[in-house]
Amino acid sequence: MKKTLFSTLFLLFSAVLLQGFYPAQEVEADMLVGVWEPSHGKARVKIEKIADKYYGKIVWLKEPIDPATNAAKVDKNNPDESMRQVPLKGYRLLKDFTYAGKGEWVDGTIYDPENGNNYSCVIKAKDANTLDIRGYIGVKTFGRTDVWKRVAIKK
Amino acid sequence: MKQQFLLLFCLFFSLTTLSFAQVTDSTTTDEEDYDQYGDVEYADGTATKTYANARIVGTAPQRFVSVGWDWQAPYTMQLSNIGSYAEDADLPPNQFATGDVVYTGGLRLTANIPVISRNTFIWQLGGNYWETGYKINNIQGDSSAVGVMNELNTKGLRTTGINSTLYKPLNEYQFILVQGSLDMSGDYDLSLQSQARFSLAALWGKRPHDRLQWAVGLSRTFRVGGMNYIPIFMYNWTSLDRKWGIEALLPARGAVRYNFSGTSLMMAGFELEGQSYRIDKFSDIPAGTSQSLEIRRGEIRPRLEYQRQLYGFFWIGAQVGYRLNYIYNADYLPEGKEFFRGFFGKQPYAMLNTLGNTPYVNLTINFVSP
Repeated sequence: MKKTLFSTLFLLFSAVLLQGFYPAQEVEADMLVGVWEPSHGKARVKIEKIADKYYGKIVWLKEPIDPATNAAKVDKNNPDESMRQVPLKGYRLLKDFTYAGKGEWVDGTIYDPENGNNYSCVIKAKDANTLDIRGYIGVKTFGRTDVWKRVAIKK
Repeated sequence: MKQQFLLLFCLFFSLTTLSFAQVTDSTTTDEEDYDQYGDVEYADGTATKTYANARIVGTAPQRFVSVGWDWQAPYTMQLSNIGSYAEDADLPPNQFATGDVVYTGGLRLTANIPVISRNTFIWQLGGNYWETGYKINNIQGDSSAVGVMNELNTKGLRTTGINSTLYKPLNEYQFILVQGSLDMSGDYDLSLQSQARFSLAALWGKRPHDRLQWAVGLSRTFRVGGMNYIPIFMYNWTSLDRKWGIEALLPARGAVRYNFSGTSLMMAGFELEGQSYRIDKFSDIPAGTSQSLEIRRGEIRPRLEYQRQLYGFFWIGAQVGYRLNYIYNADYLPEGKEFFRGFFGKQPYAMLNTLGNTPYVNLTINFVSP
């Protein structure tokens, strides 16, 4: 029994170690993690790594109150009625990005709360603090690129 | 055996939970101190540069690709013989032809492909092909007028063109918009024998906020038939509740918009349409000369338009309206060279023509960028 317990702990420990082993590419991939500001400056998005994919949620809004309702902004343009009362703050609008190498994250989607549409999306790092975010429909030709800047919380 | 199973289960569980967690929900429930994100500094020391977006919220979606059909109800057509006429001249008897136009319509294809689309600059390239076929019954009258009417009846009119749009935001509020197009219009078939005509519009404007955009500028246009230089004014506005709006590029078009939802809307307004169409059989006469007989077609279309999402980024559009004839006269252009008559020019016309006014319908299927 003691032997079995020891083996189990050893294997668990090994598994955790394997998960925690970060090759260089993974470090590069994780540069996406952080807080970013789109070019319109009206929101900030925190990108996190969950399992092996990257997700981004709104963490700050320049105008958090909807002037039409005088209440906190919600996802009122979502085509899914059940989502229309979900607060925009905390809303996960970047989903499912995986790192493809050479500073590019692919296979993700971006949601535009302004019109309730989801777009295919690729993210390309211009440098450590600047991203090109291209949302598109079907093929990349039918899309638009926005520039996001990294921000850091003041200490 | 039990221990081995436990061992495998633990290993499998640890790997799967660490490696294959999925996030499908858009909502987040974790406790986050959102207040901390209000006070930040830019990592590279330079703040985000904001530029005026090319569009405002709530407007009808821009069409990347559009396939449509335009149809006009029956009306009467009167064409004069080829000659020289003052604009307000009375046609002498037996100097014209009349016909009952029982069909006017055709295919309309347009495409606008973004070549560069960034927040700092947009460049779109487009193409268009528009047909106006005619079926004219009871053609009666004099020689050259009948000849031109027969040409319209058998060949119809078409326009093939390319265009380019440049949008350059100067800062958060100001922008420049330049649009140019090169069109060939006439009764040609595969030979594409026609005179190329270019149109140009340049605007400077402001976008004070997400629901308002206006601009002023100047255009060289054929929308009123002949070539003209016209001041233009763009005004796009959406109400606070995003239900109502105005979309106008005056004098070319203007409409009041009502949004039923994010995927359907109604517009009530008007559009000016027009081009200068070369009639090949009556050009270059006498033989060896080079002069182009061109019908200056200009029409005003008051209309109602309903647009709604069909599926995904595919939308349909349905217009019903009234086609008012503004001009259908013709000019002879020596060497095919364009001249400026404007609204007040006194140059004579080569033909004085009139079309009856009539209802019309236009249906489109569009691949859009919402």
